[in-house]
Amino acid sequence: MEKKNKIELFDTIKKSFGKLSIGGKIVWVLALFGILLVLYRYAVGLGGATNLSDGYPWGLWIGFDILAGIALAAGGFVMAGTVHLFGGHKYHSLARPAILTALLGYLLFIFGLFFDLGRPWNLWRAIYSWNHASPMFEVAWCVMLYTTVLILEFMPIVLEKLQLNKLLALWKDVVPWIVIFMLGMFTLAMSYSFVWALIMVAILLVWEISMRKGWMPRDKQMPIILIMAGVMFSTMHQSSLGTIFLLAPTKLHLLWYTPIIPLLSLFSAITAAPAMVTFESLMSEKILKHQSKFDLISSLAKWMPYLLSFYLFIKVADIIGRNVALETFTISVQAISWWLEVLVGIIIPLIFYITPEIIKTKGGMLWASSFVVIGLIWNRINVAVVGIYVDKWDPYYPYWIEIFITIGVVAIGLIVFKWATENLPIYEHETAPTA
Amino acid sequence: MKALLIDSTRCIGCRACQVACKEWNELNAEETTFFSGKGYQNPPDLSPSTWTLITYNEVEVNNRFDWVFGKMQCFHCNVPACASACPVSALEKTEAGPVIYHASICLGCRYCQLACPFKVPRFEWNKIIPEITKCTMCADRINAGMEPACAKVCSTDAIVFGERDELIAEAEDRIRKNPTFYIHHIYGKEEAGGTCVMHISNVPFNEIGFDTNIPMDPIVSKSSHAMKPIPYVLTGLGLVLGGVSWVVNRKKELEKETKSGMEG
Repeated sequence: MEKKNKIELFDTIKKSFGKLSIGGKIVWVLALFGILLVLYRYAVGLGGATNLSDGYPWGLWIGFDILAGIALAAGGFVMAGTVHLFGGHKYHSLARPAILTALLGYLLFIFGLFFDLGRPWNLWRAIYSWNHASPMFEVAWCVMLYTTVLILEFMPIVLEKLQLNKLLALWKDVVPWIVIFMLGMFTLAMSYSFVWALIMVAILLVWEISMRKGWMPRDKQMPIILIMAGVMFSTMHQSSLGTIFLLAPTKLHLLWYTPIIPLLSLFSAITAAPAMVTFESLMSEKILKHQSKFDLISSLAKWMPYLLSFYLFIKVADIIGRNVALETFTISVQAISWWLEVLVGIIIPLIFYITPEIIKTKGGMLWASSFVVIGLIWNRINVAVVGIYVDKWDPYYPYWIEIFITIGVVAIGLIVFKWATENLPIYEHETAPTA
Repeated sequence: MKALLIDSTRCIGCRACQVACKEWNELNAEETTFFSGKGYQNPPDLSPSTWTLITYNEVEVNNRFDWVFGKMQCFHCNVPACASACPVSALEKTEAGPVIYHASICLGCRYCQLACPFKVPRFEWNKIIPEITKCTMCADRINAGMEPACAKVCSTDAIVFGERDELIAEAEDRIRKNPTFYIHHIYGKEEAGGTCVMHISNVPFNEIGFDTNIPMDPIVSKSSHAMKPIPYVLTGLGLVLGGVSWVVNRKKELEKETKSGMEG
């Protein structure tokens, strides 16, 4: 009897695998291979699965899975903020896919942490063992709290699907209090000061009570406080991932080591957010056959020239202000990589976005947004890998296992994204929000 | 605060300190080969089972080559970059001076390794349950009123243990009495904001394996401009975001009211 069940299960797996397109099969194989390699990493320790060393303790996983992954998830808070806080209601249909990507990005990031950290089972200890001098402490708290915010933001999508209306109403009622508690605790942990924590709680209480009393307009679908918390945690998280590198003044190359790296880190993520939303929307049209909203994407694209040129401006002003502009003309891996980052990630897409002939077409739009996304990933890899130089140690290159685990993580992301868009109301959600 | 003063001119390279360190801290021996490091330096580098190491440096002194020995180990900074970096305070600067490690709360994120300007902490890369390892300045011995194992066994008094201020005075005194012999610098007096392991030498420090580009402020001061504004930014965002959404959404409401008013 049991044997028969096993055979049936095997058959269904075989059948559903057979139904996949070639691309789908490759993605599944890569995902499974990645998981096998993660198990191998646990069996042999980090040394056997990576090229990391005591001189280069961070590598591809930090640069790509963690820094780039989180930066690309910025679409979630940028779109949620635009729609619910800044009156960009017309972008509403772009917000849900962006929140889904952000949630997936953060969950994958946590999965990434579990194989990158040497002792991941201790991760929760950041809850009680505080060190507010550490940028990594800020990162750890932001990860925990913003992931919670994203889950809360995502919950109505699931509750809607399951038609649990009572729970949905309860969710709307309870969420603001949870958020106020989280932000209060976060402020306390970051400042070690009850006064600051109380100020934060007081501000949020004023908004929440004003909304409940009907003085302040209330979003009927989404608690404003929740969206605010998303923007606040993200702002702190994106910038703190830059702050981390301020503690490596003798190791990170001058082209990237700047006192304003937290700002650059935050701003580059915001700049790439509309591009990432565009890239995703056009790619899902290609692969998952969801009609993309090209008019909305086009109006998002109008922001890109401003965002890109402002990012370029502060990046160049920083290089000149710190008197290291000439470094970019030296012949070194770092200088070449800096130029590629700036050309691919900023200058080429900027030209694309200001050329109407290119940006009017879906193909041109896809190229322009792809360049921005690649440039952002490139920047994060530059900061975490290419730009790190440690005297007397053999330079670090990722080991093939590191590369295939990273590819596996991306593959898992694609599989879950596809499943979610097919089974949850991500794209179909059409009801216009009422202010 | 307790500290160590290490005088390279007194060191004869006997490595008794290395042996004593392994014995007290119960560290494994390492299988090494001859000339795997510089000259007779052995083992070649610090590792999870080698917390201190005498470096063998061939340096030109008075027109002839000479061995000059340096000592590698944790510097026990006054404001340690590793302890500032650690998200869960697994690394702790004790009042007595030593920087110690609590493995039970460590996440294994290795940020301490990135932050340490002296590149000292070593990670157990090949263990399934790895730890960060480094010299503890024999904190357990210090607590028991003893001196660190390496200082105890040093036969030439190249390693001296004592109060930090007194050791600085001692080092300055030695340099003052022999000004043409010593380099006029106490390595560790100000490096990275000052350390509890200090060195004096008769050859430039970069020639015996020390990094001379280390900032003179605590490493954590490099991030204070980014960390201090956090509560201001947070509460500022709380005010601005709420305010903006109030104004924007109220405007929308008014537009809608006038519209429906016109229709009605």
